[in-house]
Amino acid sequence: MKKKIIVVGGGLSGLMATLKICEAGGEVELFSYCPVKRSHSLCAQGGMNACMDTKGENDTVYEHFDDTVYGGDFLADQTAVQGMTDAAPKLIKMFDRMGVPFTRTAEGMLDLRNFGGQKNKRTLFSGSTTGQQLLYALDEQVRAWELKGAVKKYEFWEFIKIIKNKEGVCRGIVAQDMNAMEIRAFRADTVILATGGPGMVFGRCTASTICNGSAVSAVYQQGAYIGNPEFIQIHPTAIPGSDKNRLMSEACRGEGGRVWVYKDGKPWYFLEEMYPAYGNLVPRDVASRAIYDVCVNQKLGINGENRVYLDLSHIPAEYLERKLGGILEMYSEFVGDDPRKVPMQIYPSVHYSMGGIWVDIKHNTNIPGLMASGECDYQYHGANRLGANSLLSATYSGTVSGPEAMRWAKEGERGSELTDEDLKKAADACRAEYEAILKMDGPENAHQLHHELGDVMNKYVTIERVNKDLDYCFDEVKKILKRWDNIGLTDRSSWSNQEAMFTRQLRNMIIYALVVTKAARMRDESRGAHYKREFPTRDDERFMKTTIAEYDQATEEPKISYIDFDHSLVKPRARNYAVAKKE
Amino acid sequence: MNNNLDFYIRRVHSISGLVPIGFFLLEHIFSISTVLAGGGAFDATVAKLAAIPHEIMLPLEIIAIAIPFLFHALYGLYITFNAKNNPGSYGYTRNWQFYLQRMTALYLAVFLIWHVGYLRIMVKGSGLPINYEFMHAYLSNPIVLVLYCIGIVAAIFHFTNGLFTMAITWGITVGPRSQAVVNKMAWGLCVVLAIVGVMATIRFAA
Amino acid sequence: MAEAKKKVHFIIERQDGPNSKPYTEEFEVDYRPALNVVASLMEIQKNPVTKDGKKTTAPVWECNCLEKVCGACMMVINGKAQQACAALIDHLEQPIRLAPARTFPVIRDLAIDRTVMFENLKRIQGWVKVDGSWEVHNDAPRQNPRTAATAYEISRCMTCGCCMEACPNVNSGSDFIGPAALGQTHLFNMHPIGEYFKEDRLNALMDKGGIASCGNSQNCVEACPKEIKLTTYIAKLNREVNKQALKNMFNK
Repeated sequence: MKKKIIVVGGGLSGLMATLKICEAGGEVELFSYCPVKRSHSLCAQGGMNACMDTKGENDTVYEHFDDTVYGGDFLADQTAVQGMTDAAPKLIKMFDRMGVPFTRTAEGMLDLRNFGGQKNKRTLFSGSTTGQQLLYALDEQVRAWELKGAVKKYEFWEFIKIIKNKEGVCRGIVAQDMNAMEIRAFRADTVILATGGPGMVFGRCTASTICNGSAVSAVYQQGAYIGNPEFIQIHPTAIPGSDKNRLMSEACRGEGGRVWVYKDGKPWYFLEEMYPAYGNLVPRDVASRAIYDVCVNQKLGINGENRVYLDLSHIPAEYLERKLGGILEMYSEFVGDDPRKVPMQIYPSVHYSMGGIWVDIKHNTNIPGLMASGECDYQYHGANRLGANSLLSATYSGTVSGPEAMRWAKEGERGSELTDEDLKKAADACRAEYEAILKMDGPENAHQLHHELGDVMNKYVTIERVNKDLDYCFDEVKKILKRWDNIGLTDRSSWSNQEAMFTRQLRNMIIYALVVTKAARMRDESRGAHYKREFPTRDDERFMKTTIAEYDQATEEPKISYIDFDHSLVKPRARNYAVAKKE
Repeated sequence: MNNNLDFYIRRVHSISGLVPIGFFLLEHIFSISTVLAGGGAFDATVAKLAAIPHEIMLPLEIIAIAIPFLFHALYGLYITFNAKNNPGSYGYTRNWQFYLQRMTALYLAVFLIWHVGYLRIMVKGSGLPINYEFMHAYLSNPIVLVLYCIGIVAAIFHFTNGLFTMAITWGITVGPRSQAVVNKMAWGLCVVLAIVGVMATIRFAA
Repeated sequence: MAEAKKKVHFIIERQDGPNSKPYTEEFEVDYRPALNVVASLMEIQKNPVTKDGKKTTAPVWECNCLEKVCGACMMVINGKAQQACAALIDHLEQPIRLAPARTFPVIRDLAIDRTVMFENLKRIQGWVKVDGSWEVHNDAPRQNPRTAATAYEISRCMTCGCCMEACPNVNSGSDFIGPAALGQTHLFNMHPIGEYFKEDRLNALMDKGGIASCGNSQNCVEACPKEIKLTTYIAKLNREVNKQALKNMFNK
């Protein structure tokens, strides 16, 4: 019998894992609540890091490894990072063979560009939609496997819960057809979650509307540990919008873009002045804090608003077209100004979660039989992710989780099979929950409540965090959780009911918001993306540890603890981007 | 690979619009245009055609004209009814051309049944000669004249626009510039032929 | 705050299920600068009440990225298929009419079923046949940067379906594969490794509903939100498919 693996999520990581499983002779049931070709990986713009050393800079894989660990403020599992940076050039060659239209040099080689937190050119790219191109390449390969019958796609199916057998091993999932609303239980030898980040917990952010972290929250509530949830990356350059903040790639700065505001009537290139060694290419947490400081504390934002300039207008238009085309069009389209001529106006926005489901080096969670891979895991970025490392970690994690899922399916101690009775029980429980949601008849509107959740999370748990505010925020989120019970559905249709599904997701989002807030409250130091003015320095003694959040059924709140992690390769040192990095 | 029939039919349909139908149309326009030099000139042209022996002419008419025509018309109607026209929402020039190609096809289908049925089968078939005098009398009816003018312009547009799309279908014009040039040429040809055709028709009536 | 009183008027074509009868409902949303259609629909979600104050359900539609790269939110806005996230209210005539792209089966309201587009990618074998994702200790061939740039242009196709909706020859009564898949065929045929199986793809385009069903209305190239030169690639494919047809006739 062929081994059957369920992969939930069809972004870069889920598809990569799917491919590896198919190649190893397994069968995949791929669940996604959108066609996998529309997954959020395609929003990654700037590129993917890999040491190719084709620019005469003597770049090394070690340098990539060290930049990643240093950039992550020494909170990433170092052996895992080493595995990833070692594999990076090979993965690029794989993508090249699959037909990804990487941007090329005049002599037809893969071009490289600069990215934040790295001194060498190391970022491969396809114009300004690299994620889209990488995702499509894997989507195409998986489609070929689908035709051969090794992959069965369940698109427009939402994951609800995992099913454990009596030994506590994950042996299946319950999912719901988003159109027919049918709820069904599925058996699997291994389950991989590759469901992406929780951006929607913050309402407006750079993430897609589908990045709600609901699946992560669901398995957390079933006992999976969350690692480092407080580390939320704020991207320094996004176009603020009322529906979403649209990302302006770090590639803008990589290709020579400069960030400035007026000070005393003259342009002040504050990043270049504050961080002479890296200038505009400091890592994202550093740039975001600087912009926040300039706007909020020094009140120097454009016209007194929270905006700064991101300036490309000094760069030849033809060059910009070739290297950044797509996103400049996007800016023109959504804002109305031409960034080739006038500086763009940007502000930091919630962008990525370094934290996620805790996994071991092979991407097993603490629940046997359940794996996590991609942004939904916590593994590679520590306290801050370097730009262009996310496409890498997403892909790489799939190359680890896929084969490991097969190994587990063959050799793991999986305990007893799920009986038909088990499946029915699991599905019935989800059905009852769903039926209850359909009947909700209170005064609250789910979307309005979500808006409020986003507002408080954005206000208190982003760039600068204050303990007193975090306490307040935690209480507010708890109130929102209470108010969730008073939601009233306007739509009770039994066909394609988006409101009912959103209401279920919203509860998971609120629960996850508690995790992020509580973990942020407990970490009394500043490290990477997590910054507290009360504790402005890094405290390796107390906090060079992975945060573990565990769900407490009784209170619905997280229990926070800290565990050690593998930092056997490089010793922690102070992180300072004003000067060149020392080893 | 056995379901490629459709492909080959479509390609034959495309060619048949030029050879023989397009050439036949050009011959027709040439023939009727001689009327511009006077009724006598037209009668002389008709006489030349009539000199071809019936034993050659009839098979030629059936094989080289009637059958390709029927094929082009019937398959063309199938294509026409397969389209859901939308120039109202997408009012681009090329889309209007696409729409007109199909509308002219419908008009021509009816028009040609009438035209061939009456002139070729009923009149000529019964042995009456078709000459200037006959055509003058026929086209003096203003309704007939208007319907004939529309028919001629429709046929010419359908032909010249067909040339433009044919250049794409056969991969001759690939880029937007070359396609635009050929389209302009096709329109030019359309206007010239239409002027000649309409003038000749009106001349018959005058 | 005079601005805040400005309203945006929507007339939305709704349909409760695939086989239900369509009907329209009108909504009003507060105007704000840079407002787009998706953001307006999100506002309606927060308070699903019609213009006349009648309580209703929020319209159902599909959206993900809101940055015009995922292709999900394609719908017919004031008669034209486009991405709702990039449809700025300031650029639209009011009342704004939203309708599902009926070239595809309607699921509910503005949500449509575009499965056929993904299936078409199977028909044309839309992938480069690699032996596996493992290392082969060999670099992929170098590519002319200009060819790569063309490939990138086509590869930005987000399967949104604007070209399908605009094409008069793609409709429920036709089996035409449509412009998107044709563009993708050209993409894989021009890749130095993808080219190895060019013949298979060209032969696939000779099947019923293949390239011959293109009627050259050229709406696709106008409708494509990514400005992919679809008609150019279709014409190129015409040339290649014809050549292939001759080869099939005489080389076998």
